[in-house]
Formats: sequence, structure tokens, C-alpha cells
Amino acid sequence: MSKLLRSAMITAGLLSCVAPAAAAEITFCMWGTITGPDALVNGMSYGPRDYMEFLNQTKGGIAGNKVKLLLLDGRYKLDEELKHYRRCVDQEQAVVVNGWSTGSVKALRDQITQDQVPFMTQSYASEVLDPVKLPYIFMAGPTYEQQMIIALRDAAKAGGKTVVIMHGDNEYGRGPTTVVRQSGVIEKLGLTLADTVEFPYDAQDITAQMLRVKARNPDLIYVQGSTPQLIVALRDAAKVGLSATKFVGNSYNISPAIPEQLGAAAEGFRAIQVYSDFGSDIPAMKDINAFKANNKVEKEDVYYMKGWMEGVAISKAIEAAIAKNGGKVPEDIKAFRKSVRDELENLRNVDDGGITPPLNYAGHQGTTQARLAVIKSGKYVPVGDWIDAQ
Amino acid sequence: MKRSNLIIPFGLAIVAMAVSLMLGRYGAYLAHVVAIAAIGAMSLNLLNGWCGQINFAQAALLGVGAYAAGNFGNAGWDLFSLPAAGIASALAAVLIGLPALRLRGLYFAIATLAAQFIFEYLFKFAEPITHGVSGLLIQPMKLFGRVIDTDQGYSVLAIFLLLLTWLFMTWIRRTDLGRAFLVVRENEVVARGMGINVPQTKMWAFLISGFFAGIAGALMGFTARLAHPEAFGMALSVDYIAMIIVGGLGSLTGSLLGAAFVTLLPEVIQRFGEAFHIADQLSALREMAFGLLIILFLIFEPRGLSAIFRRLDVRRLVARFRPHSTNPVRDQTENQPKWRSVE
Amino acid sequence: MTFYLQLAVAGIAVGSVYALIAIGIVLIYKCSGVVNFAQGAFVMLGAYFTFALTRLGLVPVAAVAVAMLAMALVGMLTERLILRPMMKAPIVAIMAVTLGILILTRAVCLAIWGPDQIAFPKLFPDGAVNIFDVFITYNYLAAALLSVCLSLAFLAFYQFTSIGLKQRCAADNTRAALAIGIHTGNQNSLAWSMSAALAGLGGTLLATLNGLSLGLSDIGLVAFPVIVLGGLTSLSGAVVAGLLLGILQAFTDGVLTPLFETFLRTYTRIYSAGALQQVVPYLILVFVLLVRPQGIFGRRGTERL
Repeated sequence: MSKLLRSAMITAGLLSCVAPAAAAEITFCMWGTITGPDALVNGMSYGPRDYMEFLNQTKGGIAGNKVKLLLLDGRYKLDEELKHYRRCVDQEQAVVVNGWSTGSVKALRDQITQDQVPFMTQSYASEVLDPVKLPYIFMAGPTYEQQMIIALRDAAKAGGKTVVIMHGDNEYGRGPTTVVRQSGVIEKLGLTLADTVEFPYDAQDITAQMLRVKARNPDLIYVQGSTPQLIVALRDAAKVGLSATKFVGNSYNISPAIPEQLGAAAEGFRAIQVYSDFGSDIPAMKDINAFKANNKVEKEDVYYMKGWMEGVAISKAIEAAIAKNGGKVPEDIKAFRKSVRDELENLRNVDDGGITPPLNYAGHQGTTQARLAVIKSGKYVPVGDWIDAQ
Repeated sequence: MKRSNLIIPFGLAIVAMAVSLMLGRYGAYLAHVVAIAAIGAMSLNLLNGWCGQINFAQAALLGVGAYAAGNFGNAGWDLFSLPAAGIASALAAVLIGLPALRLRGLYFAIATLAAQFIFEYLFKFAEPITHGVSGLLIQPMKLFGRVIDTDQGYSVLAIFLLLLTWLFMTWIRRTDLGRAFLVVRENEVVARGMGINVPQTKMWAFLISGFFAGIAGALMGFTARLAHPEAFGMALSVDYIAMIIVGGLGSLTGSLLGAAFVTLLPEVIQRFGEAFHIADQLSALREMAFGLLIILFLIFEPRGLSAIFRRLDVRRLVARFRPHSTNPVRDQTENQPKWRSVE
Repeated sequence: MTFYLQLAVAGIAVGSVYALIAIGIVLIYKCSGVVNFAQGAFVMLGAYFTFALTRLGLVPVAAVAVAMLAMALVGMLTERLILRPMMKAPIVAIMAVTLGILILTRAVCLAIWGPDQIAFPKLFPDGAVNIFDVFITYNYLAAALLSVCLSLAFLAFYQFTSIGLKQRCAADNTRAALAIGIHTGNQNSLAWSMSAALAGLGGTLLATLNGLSLGLSDIGLVAFPVIVLGGLTSLSGAVVAGLLLGILQAFTDGVLTPLFETFLRTYTRIYSAGALQQVVPYLILVFVLLVRPQGIFGRRGTERL
């Protein structure tokens, strides 16, 4: 038997190991960076899974049907994420898919519309927010641009004049920065953009960039980056004597890791807070603590709260879809998905237990309100009221 | 080429295409990822296994192919974007290979490493062509007027191109140029003594290898509908090197096996992990398996999976238990030095 | 002016760590002709060991010392178990095996310590000095001084002690060394152990500067431009080239990138210069290879036809 034939047989054998599992009635398929550059914030992937698991344990699922949950590791690699999308949509026949990176949701946006699958993305990129052209894509908060504008407004109110924006050299960093820069909103608020400083998104040392920024003597330094990048940024800022009080990060920078690893160097740093922190005095914490009593909670931070809130919204939509179908799970997955999408868009005034102000998904965002939080004595403390970004 | 030699590859390809049409989307996607990897592995095998030129910049060449195909495809070149992408990559490969004419072994290896990083930078930097870090959105390919936008469709296309690559590689191995590759790999001085134009031979190796890398990259671009700089980083180059090591340096079937192995093993581990509920450590396990594979194969069986399978041939196993029969095939295999593989 | 001084300080601090790591690679190369892709892995592992030991209760200084010993052991084991069997393999295969070691080590660290950044214990006090208006944290100062001192001490060891002499013999001509009774196998193991220990220390210093995470292993790849620039066979070249490249990277970041960006924005549609400081070392590498492949201090060898 020729080697070629044998090789082909081995290949076929390996392929057959990835046979599809039997499809459950309600499947919720997620992927996130379980291991990878921004694994620090993966609480927001554990959140929806845990909420659904909570429903499974306490209420027997949604409308009596247990939800099958699958959390895959995207590793922040585009090809992994694209592969997971296909598995979720095709093999697992998921009714809702939860994705992670900005890059993947942008690459998939046409396919998502074509496949007609409700897609909740962890990203806040404005290019995938379009209820008309991209009716199946939903997100969980104000866009990065809106967050940046909130910080800029605050700086302008405090009498600041010059702004420097720092960002990583990936899509997540460059995209929103370019949009804000080109929109002219900075000038409209009476501020001047002194410089945009880019750094490699996986850089371990950006001291020289910090020196550049320091030379500009700005009033506000906005960093469009992830928590690992902020840790490097603030650490190197301290190396050159640049105070953390000038820095503002986006909603991805409220991780306990920042004050934990930087100590005094992080005091005064502010970030955009969209969700209440883990352990704050809100009704949702009762549920979470009940869940925690019998299960392991991987990450106890504000991103977990984001995930929990996503779980609430998605489960409410699925519940409404089942109710519209006479209390039974629709047989046809396509119809089910379409129905869930419609119900998700119809969510109004949904109470997520105090994590955010009541949810409204008409604009596919859920909430557009945020406030600033500052690090005081190693903890994030909210400053001021919820501001609406619009 | 004998007709019997053609029947098996053709037959297999047709069966594979039929099967992938019947598989679900995910299965077809995996099949075509394996096919693309196999094309890329065969291209690297020609350069590395047959001609002995190390290349850490394989991912960069794939990237050039993807970006080229994306630009040509979006401009409406349809089917022609594939060979055009191949030519673009071939040119890039020659560019990388030019220093090879003056550097040797280790130094050349480091030079290809540098080339990989320089190309990665260029992918992010040359925004007018590549759309920088946003990545280049690529329209699905049109074939004779019909759009291919299903995973099954691309799977069939990829397998067809794999067949063509296979046929080409087996053909070129028998030509003077192919033999020249092997001689240059063994000993450049001897090659020169035999009248082989060593620099020209090396350049041909780069050119052809680059062409097929470009085809593989183009397919990657069309299926993902996106050419993204982070997709063509050093990690991908390492993947391809692992493929030809695991498959067997210099062996053509080895490239196919190695591609299948490296691509599908993570999937298999993933499924096992899910079945036994140890999902948390899966990524670490996959990486460990990957690293161990490379190390163990290089230490114990550098001729790779293809050599292991040769030993599993039933005829040979039977012959081994018959002490009195002479088996010229076995003797030939056994006596081959560990590090060369020609077939 | 302060700006440039500050850049230079930043560059020297990082460059001295590059030097430490590059010395390790050159050491192995001189002794066994192998280019160790896994050096970055040793860097990362050393930092994680130090961290784990402080968690177990050891005083930071003791933790660093024990971690270095542990790394020396790792280096020796790597040489004995993985490199010895590959003695007859082509150079490319050995490079590939060291790549495999890098991948495996990263995976093991991922499995044990997880993918997140970890707060590294403070080895040096907080605070900074202000010399000529240049702000230098104690961390920076200590890392730079330690690295430079150790590098010089190592060079001295290599040059002036009897073990160093044996190493040089084994590196120079294996057959001759064997002929005069030097156990080249042992020398090889020694080279790997010392190299791994140095890398481990470099990792610890790097972690005090930049924190502990899997990303520490990436520095192994930056070390290649360093050794090509300095000369693959020259230890002092590694030190000089390391410092040079560190300063060059800092100045690229601080001076060249803004200049380049202004140029781009005026004449082209491109807005961003990107990660220029990551690619400049490689451009230099290619340039050196084409013009003077033996580097600044290396000997003219068989790297060219």
C-alpha cells in the first residue's frame, strides 16, 4: 500500500475524531482569551457561562430547558477565533454566540449577518455597531470612542488644555484612536491633541515612549490599551517620574491587577467604569455569592460583572423567544436564532441586579452610561455620577 | 510519470473532495485548513528538506501571498489572483534568498529570522496596500463567474490545488533541477564540481518554494476573508517547521502527514479534554504536546512520521520475522543515514 | 538634553540585560556551535523560579541565588538529555530542537503559573535618584549595575581562571582539547549551566523592571541581533553590542519614531510608524550580515562562502 494512501488514512482518522456532538436544545457557545495576552480580563467570558450555569442549577435552565454551555479558548489568535465561530455555529448549533476580539468580529461581520446568528461581542468597536446593516451583532456597553469622549469631556471640564493619546499597535488600539482623532471632537471640546504615541501591543518596556509623552507636558494622557499594557505603561511612567494622576484608561483598565502589581505607582489613575465592581452593594451580588457557594468563580472583578450582565440579557431574550413560541423551544434553529435576535433588540428596562443602569438594547448596546473611577489606597472608587455617552 | 503513479493521487483527491462536500461546515473547514497547510509544508520541504536552505520566514511568504491575493481579488482578478499571489510570494522569496548566496548555514538562518520580523513590520506598516493592523478585508473569490463563499467550496478548491502541488513536486524531483537541489543540499563544493550553478539552483528553490507558499497564503486569505498581520507571525513559521520535522525532512508524504498532524492534533486534544472535563489546562497541554513532538521527533526519529510508517508496512514486518529471507528493501532503509531522506 | 540623557539611561538599563542574556548565547555557541533559541525560555524560567521561591518564604536575595542554581541544573539537564543525543545532527535541526525547548518551557510555565501577569516581589527599594535632572529609579540603577558588573565579572572569569581557560580550549578546537585531556562533554555541560544561570538572573532583573509574565521569553529573540552585531564568537562583543542595541532602541522610540512619523504624515497617507524599535535591530542585523558578518568583534569565520 503506498505511503500516500496510508498518510491519507491517518489524516482521515484524525479528522474523524472531531465529529460533532449531539446538539442540545439550547446551546450557548462562547470563546474568549482563556490563555493569551489579555487573559487578565477573561472574567467577562466566565461571567455569562456562570450565569447560565446558575440558571441551570437554580431554575433548571431557561423555561425549564437546561442550557448547554461551551467556553472555548480563542487565545487572542484570529485563526483560532474564526475556527471557534464555525464550530459554534455549525457543529454546536448554538442559538447565541459570544465572541471576544475586535479583529474577529470585524472579520466575521458579514458572515454573522449571512448566517443569521445572534452574536454578542465583548468588543466595543464602533465599526460593528450598526443595528441596520449588522442586525445580528450586539455589544455590552458604550463604544471605545464614546468612552474616550467621556474622558475628554471630563478633562475639558477640569480646565485641561493638552491631550496625549497612547495606544497599542493593534486594531483595538489604533481603530478607536483614529476614529476619535479624525472626528474633530477633541478640538470641539477646546482641547489640543499634542501627540498620539503608539507602542507594540505586547511590549514589555515603553520607557522611551513615556519620555516622549512627558516632554509634551499634557493634562490628560488617555491610554487606549488593555490591562497588561496599562500595567507596563504606569510602571514605566513611574520610572520617568510621570504621575499616574494624568492617566485615564478605558473600561478594560479596572482590573485589581493594576493596583496590586503597581502599588503606589497606580494611585490616582482613573479608568472608565461601565459596570459596578465585584463585591459592591448591589442585588446581583446576592446571586453571585449564592453561585459562589457551590461553584468556583474564576475571576472576581468588574469584567466578571460585565459577563454576568451579558448572561442576564441573553437569557432574558431566549426566555422571551421561547414564550413567543408557546413555551417550547423552536425546532428550527434558524427560526429560533431569528426570534432570539428580535427579542434581544426588544429588551427595554431590564434589571441586571444593579450592575448597570437598566438595560435598553434598541441601539444594540445595552447601556451607554459610564463614570470615572479612581484608584485610592489600592481600590477603585467611583467618582461622580453615571454620565451618558451620547 | 507512470500512469499508475497518477491514479492514487487523483483518486484520493476526488474522494477527499467528495467527502469534504458531505462534511459539515466545521469538518470542511478543518479539511481545507489541512490542505492549505500541506501545500505550505510541501513548499517549505522543497526549500529546506530538498535543497537544505533553512527558512524561518515561511509565515511572511504566506502573508505576502494572502495580501497579494486580497488586493488582486478585490480588484476583480478572480481566479488569476491565485497565480498572481504565487508570483508575488516567489519574488519575496527571492528577495529573502539573495543573502543566501553570500551567507551560510547558521548565519543564513538568522537572516531569515530577521526577514520574518521585517515583513511582519511591513504588513502592519504599509497601510495603503495592507490596511495595516485592521487587516485587509477580502471579498470571496469568484470562479468562472460564481462566488465561492462556503467552507465546502473552498475545501474542494484547496484539495484540488493540493493535488496540483503534489503532482508538480513529484515531477520536479525527477528533473535535473530537482536532483541539483539534492546535491546542493549535500555538499555545495561537490555540486560546483559537477557543473551545477549553485547560486542559480538556490534561487530556483526559493522561487518555486515561494510560489507555492503564496498559493497557500492566498487560500488562507480567501477563506478567512481577511488578511491580518498577526496571523502571519513567527508562531506560524514555527508551525511549518514543526510540520516538516514531524512529517520527515525531505519527504513529500511527510509534508502531508506533518501538516495533518500539526493542524489536527490540537483539535483531538481539545476534544479529549472536553470529554474528560479538564478543559482549563487544554491550551497549555496543546503547547506542551507541540514542543515535545518537535524535541522527541528530532532526537529519536528525525526522518519523521513517514519513516515510522515505512516500518509499519505489513510486508516488511512479515519479512522481519523470516530470518532467512533477504529483503533488499529493508536493508536499504535500515542503512540509510539518519538525517537524509530521499524518496 | 535631559531628554536624551534619560533615553540613554533607559537604553543602558535594558541593554545591560540584553548583554547578560547574549553572553549566555555566545557561551553556548563557542562551546558547542549551537545557537540556543531557548535562551529566552531560560530567562523566563529563572524569573518564575525566583517568584516561586519567594512565595515559599525565602528572602529575595536567597531566592535569586537558589533560582540561579536551579537554572544551572536545568541548563545541564538540557545539555545532557536533549543536546547530547543530537551531537551528529545538522545545525538546523539543533536550532529546531532548541525551538522545541522554548515552546515546551513556555507551555509548562503556562500550566503552572497561568497566563496572567504576576506581581513580582520587590528586590530593590522604591524611589529614585535625580542626577543632573535625570530621573533614575533604584530598580533601573540596580538592574543596570548588576548586569554590567556580572557581565564584566564573567568576562574576567572566562579570561583569567583555569576553568575559563579550559572552556576556551574546548570552544576553540574540540579535538585538540580532547587530546590534552579536557573533558569536552563536561565543558559543554558547564557552558550550558552557566549560560542558563546567567539567563535566569537576567530574567529576574528583567522581571523587577517589567513585571513577571510569559512575555519575558520574547527577549530571547531580540538577543540575536545583539550577538550578530557583537560577533557570534565574542563575549565582550556581546556586552558592547547589548548596550549599543539597548541605547539604539531607546533612541528609536524617543527620537527616530517621532521624526519618522512627522515625515510620513507630511508626505504619505500613512499615519503611524508602528513598532519601529522592534524592527530596527533586525534591519541592523541584516545590514551587518551583508557587510561584516563577523560583527564588531568576531573572528572572520566560515560564515560566508
